[in-house]
Amino acid sequence: MASVRNSRFRIPGHLIGPISIFVVAMAYGSIGSPYFLNPTSLIFNTGRYVEIGLIALALTLVIINGDIDLSVASNLAASAAVMAKLFSHGVPIYLCCLAAIATGLFLGFLNGFIVIKFGLPSLVVTLATLALYRGLAQVMLGDQVVSDYPESFIGMDQRMLISAGPGLPIPLALFIVVAIIFYFVLHRSNFGLLNVMSGSNASASKFSGIKVDNVRLTAFATSGLICGICAIMMTSRLGVTISNVGLGVELLAITVVVLGGTDIFGGRGSISGTVIALFAIMAVRESLVIQDVNGQVQDAAIGLLLILTVLVPRMRASYIEQRNRKKRFNESQSKAGTH
Amino acid sequence: MKLALRSNSNNAITNIFKKREFGIFIFVLALFLTFGSLQPRFFRSDNLWAILSSVGILMIVGAGQTLVIVTRNIDLSVGSTLGLAAMSVGMIARSHPNFPTIGLLLISLVVGGFCGFINGLLVSFGKIPSIIATLGTLAVFRGAIFVLSNNVQIDPNDVPKKIINLGVTSPIWVPWLLIFAFLAISGVGFLSRRTLAGKRIYAIGSNPEGAISRGLAFNRITITVFVILGALAGLGGVMYMARYATINPADVGRGLEFDVISAVVIGGTNIFGGSGSALGTALGCLLIGILSNGLTVVGVSPFYKTCATGILILAAVTLDNLVRKKQEQNFLQEIRKQRVSK
Repeated sequence: MASVRNSRFRIPGHLIGPISIFVVAMAYGSIGSPYFLNPTSLIFNTGRYVEIGLIALALTLVIINGDIDLSVASNLAASAAVMAKLFSHGVPIYLCCLAAIATGLFLGFLNGFIVIKFGLPSLVVTLATLALYRGLAQVMLGDQVVSDYPESFIGMDQRMLISAGPGLPIPLALFIVVAIIFYFVLHRSNFGLLNVMSGSNASASKFSGIKVDNVRLTAFATSGLICGICAIMMTSRLGVTISNVGLGVELLAITVVVLGGTDIFGGRGSISGTVIALFAIMAVRESLVIQDVNGQVQDAAIGLLLILTVLVPRMRASYIEQRNRKKRFNESQSKAGTH
Repeated sequence: MKLALRSNSNNAITNIFKKREFGIFIFVLALFLTFGSLQPRFFRSDNLWAILSSVGILMIVGAGQTLVIVTRNIDLSVGSTLGLAAMSVGMIARSHPNFPTIGLLLISLVVGGFCGFINGLLVSFGKIPSIIATLGTLAVFRGAIFVLSNNVQIDPNDVPKKIINLGVTSPIWVPWLLIFAFLAISGVGFLSRRTLAGKRIYAIGSNPEGAISRGLAFNRITITVFVILGALAGLGGVMYMARYATINPADVGRGLEFDVISAVVIGGTNIFGGSGSALGTALGCLLIGILSNGLTVVGVSPFYKTCATGILILAAVTLDNLVRKKQEQNFLQEIRKQRVSK
């Protein structure tokens, strides 16, 4: 035991849960089918999860700040709707993409602005904008289905950046790049430290001269920006746009963030946790798919794992504390006896 | 103790205007009159009944959610709890068509209460933040619906006529659905305003450390609150069956959590706990119902509904925040005056 503790490399506590889920799910999947561990198919399957992963990365930042953004999926839908509307009016596709990113950024900024300007809890504000942004998408698109995107635009998830070996699809490459950027921003830069500080104690940070409001606003805007990017990716992957695109993604993304060990009340969290949690959830999903399990039961399994990853360490900590207290009590008793 | 529980003012009429619920009531009235003046058909009695029955389920579940939010918790799993109760009751009704209605209601309460009990255990003894625990059980209960039903939906001809009648008739003119909604709201209102248990629930929410050091059974109260919400969501399950007559494993109660939380928040309950009332929630539910119905009656495209709900929540919360700040200022001024006069 001591040698493990003294060794230079140790898995951080919050990563043990997701890593073990990942390993077990991979093993379970490979029991289901010998082709499960085929790297080409595994990498090919990441396309569907990359959007959730990107949103989860942005949400990690927001949640570390002590806020939450429930409106991400609706923001994605609104951005996708703007894009589709412009495209159906004959605007060239690259301008539509720019418009989607701008819309996402603006809506994210609006979230932050309302939260900070009116001093309202972000949970409530983004609950309202969850409805509002989805409503905007519905108003813009109605029951219209926009398709006929150019061939050069759709199917981005099947195009390879590097075709050698198992290949590297463009979305996965983008995810890796964004994750690395987020890692450096959050863990290796001043701005990341400001995020952690304003999340762990907002008023103390304010008194020590940190512009907490600006930090929070930046996090919300980043979240919006990522939603805009995801809107483009999703449109490209699906090839069509409808007003209820991405319904329910917010809960999945929050699940990924929490599974990765980020404190839901802010002040603590890591990008590595979110990334590993994303792959753990992907492994669980894919291994259950290969065992022919229904989608709702897959969700249930992930929900159960979410509860267990939070519950088990807490139970263990309280058990150890109780044991130590008992030990101390016994020691003090025996000392009292010798006197 | 009894004195402390009563409101300390003797002038009932001026008191009404000071109440937090009054602001939201004005909001409801204004919206109601606006829609009515735009389209007189809005005031027809069958339309008013339609509005009320459309928010009945929301009121039943919202009453419980108010209590949970007052204790600084939140329950995201209500939609799945409602679905699980509805599915289990529906399956019993399908296999035993002559099962007494009161028995079905009891079963729904027990199933819902059990779901709430699990949530309560996770939050209190498991010490998991409620938003995470119920995010997990949201998925777990939804999976349980699927496993239980084997992905077969309950068809309208499998639902007994007696159950469907709950949404339409009753011995006293008002449908059972609304009677249950009224009972849920007034029951929770009575619990929170007139009983010691209610005061304890509010005490936990407004000052947890203080409540613990005062010796309140923190875990027990938390579990109780979740069980109440679960049981009410279970009751809502039977009402869902009465109203829609079809229970689809994937659809039943999906997304209800957002509607319920919206209604509670519009009703002036503080999302950080400690304050809020069942009456406010009832008004919040009514506001959502009037908006949704009114837009249709006036002839606005249904695609604007979601948008309008979002704006409504923002407006209600901003307004409530302003009122709260004003009240705090008034309170501080009064204290200052008292000090000066002393």
